[in-house]
Amino acid sequence: MDQDIIDLREKYLNQDFDTTPFEIDPKKTVEYARLCGETAPRFLDPADADFQASPTYIASLMGGRTMPKDFPVKGIGMDAGKGVECLAPIRPGQTLNGKTHLHDIYTKTGRSGRMVFVVSRIEFYDNAGKHLANSDSRIVIREKG
Amino acid sequence: MSIESISDVEFGVDLPAFKPDTRLSSASTFAKLVGWNAPRFNDHEAAKKEGLPGAMIPGILSQGYLVAMIHNWAPVANVKSIDTVFRAPVIADDDHTIIGVVTDINEDDKLVEIDLTVKNSKGETRVFGTAMIEIP
Repeated sequence: MDQDIIDLREKYLNQDFDTTPFEIDPKKTVEYARLCGETAPRFLDPADADFQASPTYIASLMGGRTMPKDFPVKGIGMDAGKGVECLAPIRPGQTLNGKTHLHDIYTKTGRSGRMVFVVSRIEFYDNAGKHLANSDSRIVIREKG
Repeated sequence: MSIESISDVEFGVDLPAFKPDTRLSSASTFAKLVGWNAPRFNDHEAAKKEGLPGAMIPGILSQGYLVAMIHNWAPVANVKSIDTVFRAPVIADDDHTIIGVVTDINEDDKLVEIDLTVKNSKGETRVFGTAMIEIP
């Protein structure tokens, strides 16, 4: 691993840099699930006893920032992928607290040069502080020469 | 066959192919719902001006298709995690097919790993991912 990436990892990984509240609107989660192609009542019917947001709904929630203010890697950032980890169901109608940190930084080198991959993770907690889910955004940055 | 328990799952089995709703009108509705009201999701001509082949499906909608496919196959499944790579744009109004295969089964923990791929009408891979699900 390149020394500059080792330094970035030491300075930025696992440091919360954003906290944002998210209201989970039942109408929105139902429409989200419907458009994804879900058919189960637990995602579509607010009267269902197990009513919940579809597992990937949290991937649509964005905090105030996806990168720390002073993150030094400059270049064109592109969405390279998303990951979701579900620890407990997200119940519509509640407010979640989202805390964002950088979860991973690594590089890949191709014909056009080095690309830096940054994984920005939002951890979602309920009002009691229970950890419900994680949403990872994988951003690839082609460095400016 | 709809999967009702972990004992119904066979290693290496293909999930039933899933045809997602990739109409432009649906992509546009979804993009507005999540606050991504950009021309690239709403208008083929506007997307072409940005260098795309046409209006694209938001990446997180493609991820949502993958999970809906799993629930279509195993209604009782709880998705524990899904990791998705956006390899190339999924273009709206083009027919796409999602395929999936069971790559691991852990009967003790009732966990199943599935590899998933979104292909366009030319058979080209656009999105792929891996999901870990729990089947009671």
